[in-house]
Amino acid sequence: MSLAPWLLMLPALLLLAAVYAGPLLRYAWLSGHASSVLTGLIPVPNDGANWQRLAGDARFWQDAFQTLRFAFLSVGLELLLGLAIALLLHRPMRGRGLLRAVTLLPWALPTTLMALGWRWILNDPYGPVNGLIQGLGGQPYGFLSTPATTWLATVVADVWKTTPFVALLLLAGLQSIPGDLEEAMQLEGASRWQILRRLTLPLLLPYLGLAVLFRLAQALGVFDLIQVLTGGGPGGSTESLAFYAYLQAMRFLDFGYGATVMLATFGLLLLLALAWLLTLRRLQGRQP
Amino acid sequence: MRALLLLWSLAPLLWQLRTSLQSPAALAPPATGAAAGAAQAAAWTLENYQLILAGDPPFWRCLVNSGVVGLSTTLLTLLLAIPCAYGLHRQRGRIGSVATLILLAAALFPTVLLFLGLLETARRLGLANNLLALSLPYSAMGLPLAVLLLRSAFDDLPPELEDAAKLEGLDLWQRLRHVLLPLLAPALISTALLLFLFSWNEYPIALTWLSRSELLTLPVAMARIGSSSVFTIPYGAFAAATVLGSLPLLLLVLLGQRWIVSGLTHGAIKG
Amino acid sequence: MSLREGQGLELRQLSRSVGERLLLDRLDLEVRPGECLALLGPSGCGKSTTLRLVAGLDAPSCGRILLQGEDITDRSAGSRQVAMVFQSYALYPHLSVADNLALGLRVRGVGARERERRIASVLELLQLGELRERRPAQLSGGQRQRVALARALLRQPQVVLLDEPMSNLDAQLREELRPELRRLLCGGEPPVIYVTHDQQEAIGMADRIALLEGGRLQQVGSARELYANPINRFVATFLGRPAINLLPLDHERQLGLRPEHLVPLDPEAEGQQGLAARLQRHEWWGNQQLLWLETERGPLRMLLPGDQSPPERLRVGWQPAHELHFAAGSGERLP
Repeated sequence: MSLAPWLLMLPALLLLAAVYAGPLLRYAWLSGHASSVLTGLIPVPNDGANWQRLAGDARFWQDAFQTLRFAFLSVGLELLLGLAIALLLHRPMRGRGLLRAVTLLPWALPTTLMALGWRWILNDPYGPVNGLIQGLGGQPYGFLSTPATTWLATVVADVWKTTPFVALLLLAGLQSIPGDLEEAMQLEGASRWQILRRLTLPLLLPYLGLAVLFRLAQALGVFDLIQVLTGGGPGGSTESLAFYAYLQAMRFLDFGYGATVMLATFGLLLLLALAWLLTLRRLQGRQP
Repeated sequence: MRALLLLWSLAPLLWQLRTSLQSPAALAPPATGAAAGAAQAAAWTLENYQLILAGDPPFWRCLVNSGVVGLSTTLLTLLLAIPCAYGLHRQRGRIGSVATLILLAAALFPTVLLFLGLLETARRLGLANNLLALSLPYSAMGLPLAVLLLRSAFDDLPPELEDAAKLEGLDLWQRLRHVLLPLLAPALISTALLLFLFSWNEYPIALTWLSRSELLTLPVAMARIGSSSVFTIPYGAFAAATVLGSLPLLLLVLLGQRWIVSGLTHGAIKG
Repeated sequence: MSLREGQGLELRQLSRSVGERLLLDRLDLEVRPGECLALLGPSGCGKSTTLRLVAGLDAPSCGRILLQGEDITDRSAGSRQVAMVFQSYALYPHLSVADNLALGLRVRGVGARERERRIASVLELLQLGELRERRPAQLSGGQRQRVALARALLRQPQVVLLDEPMSNLDAQLREELRPELRRLLCGGEPPVIYVTHDQQEAIGMADRIALLEGGRLQQVGSARELYANPINRFVATFLGRPAINLLPLDHERQLGLRPEHLVPLDPEAEGQQGLAARLQRHEWWGNQQLLWLETERGPLRMLLPGDQSPPERLRVGWQPAHELHFAAGSGERLP
C-alpha cells in the first residue's frame, strides 16, 4: 500500500555507502598493509609500518603545515570579502540579479580552467601582471617561481573562485534577518557599525558557521588548484596533503602509504571540524 | 563598489578572452619588452580557435564528453534523490535526523580523498574509461546536496495538498507525478543546475578514471595540455579553450542564476 | 437516539496517541445518514485528530471506524470514499479549476466524456462555470471554497468532512455561505462532520454538536440541549456568549448563572430577593449592553437591552429554573 520512508531512501543511501564508506574502510585496511610496486600491488600486512613512516615523514608534516596555512588564510579572506560582497548585494539596487550572476561566475567555472588562466596572468615575463609592472618601469617578477609568492598565488586563485559561494551563503543569511530589527536599532540611535556588530553578525553566526565548516573542509582537500597551478612547486613549497596522497598513489604507485596519507588527512579534517563546531557553540552561547 | 566587484569577477575572464584572440607572436614577442607586445596587441585573430578545434582529438570532443557525463549524472542523481528526499520528508524522529546528519557530513566531505578507493573499485569492475560509469561516483557526490535541497522543498509544500490527493485515491507515484513534482519544479531546476555544474567541473575522479584521450572531460583535457610542459604552454590556444569551455557555463549561470541562487540559499537555510 | 444497523458513521472507542501525548481518548460517536454533526472545541481538543482518523490520513492507536456498517479502520484514505474540505482548501495551485476537479476522477478511471459531464454539472451547481480555466491563485477566498466543495461533491462520498471551512473567509461572507453549505452538503445521504472552534458556526450549521476538550468527548446533543442542560462546567462555559457566571455557593458547589438570565430588581424593594450589586463598568453593543457588576459573592456579568440606562446600584434576580449547579472541584453538574 504505502512504502516505508526508509525503503525509499535505501537506494540513495546504498550508493552513498558504496562511494563514501567503501573507500574510507578500504583505506583503513590498506593503511595496515604494504601495497606498492615492490609487492606487485598485492597488499601484504606490514604491522603499522605505514603509520611509523608517516610519523617520521618530514614531507608529510611540511605538507600538513602548508595545507593548514593555505586553508586558514584563504578561508579567512573569503569570509571577509564574502561578507563585504554579501552586504553590498543585500542592498536593493537595479540590476541586482545580473550582478549576482556575474559575481557567481568564478565559482561556476572549473578550477582547472581558471588555474591555467592564473598561470598565464602571472606568467614571467609575458603575463599581464608582469606587463603592467614593466609598463610602470619595473622588472618582470617570477611569481610562480618564488615560494613566497607562489603560495600566495594559490590563495588568491582560491579566494577568487570561492568567495562568491561564501558571499551567497551569507546573503541568504542576511535575507533571513527581518528588516524591522535593523529599523528598530536605527530608531534607538545605533550607528551602522553597531548594527553590524550587535545585530547582523550574531544573527549571521549560523551561516558563518556553515560557510567556514564547508570551506575549511574543501580547502583542506585542495587538489585541482595545486596540481594545475603550481604542480606543488616550486620545490614542494605549495604541495598539499591531497596532492601528496595523489603522488604517492599515482606516481610512486604506493597504495598502502597513499591510503595512510588520505586517512591522516581525513583525521586532521575531523579534528578541525570538531574544533570549529566547539568554537561555534561557545560563540553562540555568548550571545545575549 | 559595484564596479570593483564586476572588475574583480570579470577581469581574469576578460583577459582570457583577449588572449584567445591574439596571435602567438603577439603573446610572446621575440624581442622582450612590453612595448613590443603592446604594439602587436591590436592584431586580432581566430587562429587559436582554429588550432584547438582542429586538434586531435578535437576540442569539441571533450565538451561533448563533459556534457554526456553532466546529463547522465544529473538524471541519475535526481532519480535517486527524489524518492530519498520524499522518504526523508516523511521520516520523522531519530532515523530522520541521523540520516540528515549523514547527508550533511557527506556534503561537506572533500571528495578528492575518495579517489584511490574509487579507482581500485573501478578497475576491479572494469568501469574505468567509461563515461557513463563515471556518473555513479558523481551521483553519490551530488546526492547529499540534492537530497537536502529537495527535502526542504518537500517540507515547504503545504501538507494538505498531499492529504487531499490521498483522499482522492492517488497512490504515491500519482501524487508525485501529478501534484508534488510539478509544484517542486523550481527546486528541481535549481538542483539539476547545481548537479550539472558539479559534474562539469569535477577533476580528481575523472583524472584517475579516464586515460583514453578521446574520453577526457573538459577539466582533464585542459589540465593535460597544461601539464605537458610548464614553460611552453600554447597560452593563446589555451585561452581559446578556456573561453569555449566557459561558454556553456556562462549561459547556464546567466539563464539559471535565479534558480542557482535560490538552490544555494535554500541549502544554506536548511543546513 | 440509536442508529439503524449498518447506516451512517460510527466511531467506537477511537484513540490516538503520538509518543507520550494522548490526542484522542476513547471517543464513541455516531453520525446518522444525512445528519450534520459539528465537532466543537478549543484548539488542541482532538477535533481535527478525529477528522483525520475518519479520513484515513492518520491511523488510530486503537478503536474502530464503521461506515455503513462496514469496518473501514484499516482501509487506506484513497479507498474510503471520504471527501474532505480543508481549512486552506488544498487546491492544487498548478492546475486550473477544471483540472483540479478532473484529477481525482481521472485516477479513479472515470472516462473522459463522463468526467466532462460530471465536472460541468458540478460547476453549474456551484456557479463556477466561468472560472473553469482559472488557477486557484486567481480566485477569491469564497470562490476557492466553492471549488473545494465541488471537488468534495465529485468524490460521491459516503461521508463528508469539513475542517474549519469558513475560517479563511471574512465574517460577512461566512454568514452568506452558511445556508448554501447546508443546502449542498447536509440533508443528502452521506453524514457530514463539521469541525469548528466557533460555536455560532456550529449552532448555525449542525443538527447536533459534539463538544470535545482535552481529547475527550464532553457532551453530544443538539445546541439547545447543550445550552440548557450542560453536563459539566466546561460545556456550560464554552457554549453561550458572554460566558456563564460562576459564583461559589459553599465549599463543594458552584452556582452557574447565564448573563442573559439575570434581571434587574428594584434596589429599594425589601424582601431580600436577589443579590445587591454595584456597577463597575459597562459595554454598550447597540441592541444590548453588558454590565460588569460587583456583588458580595463575587463579580457578575449581566446583559440588558441597549436602550436602558444602567443603574449605579441594583439588585440582581433570576428564576430558580435557570440555576445550574456544579461540583467545585470536578466541575460535574449537580442536580
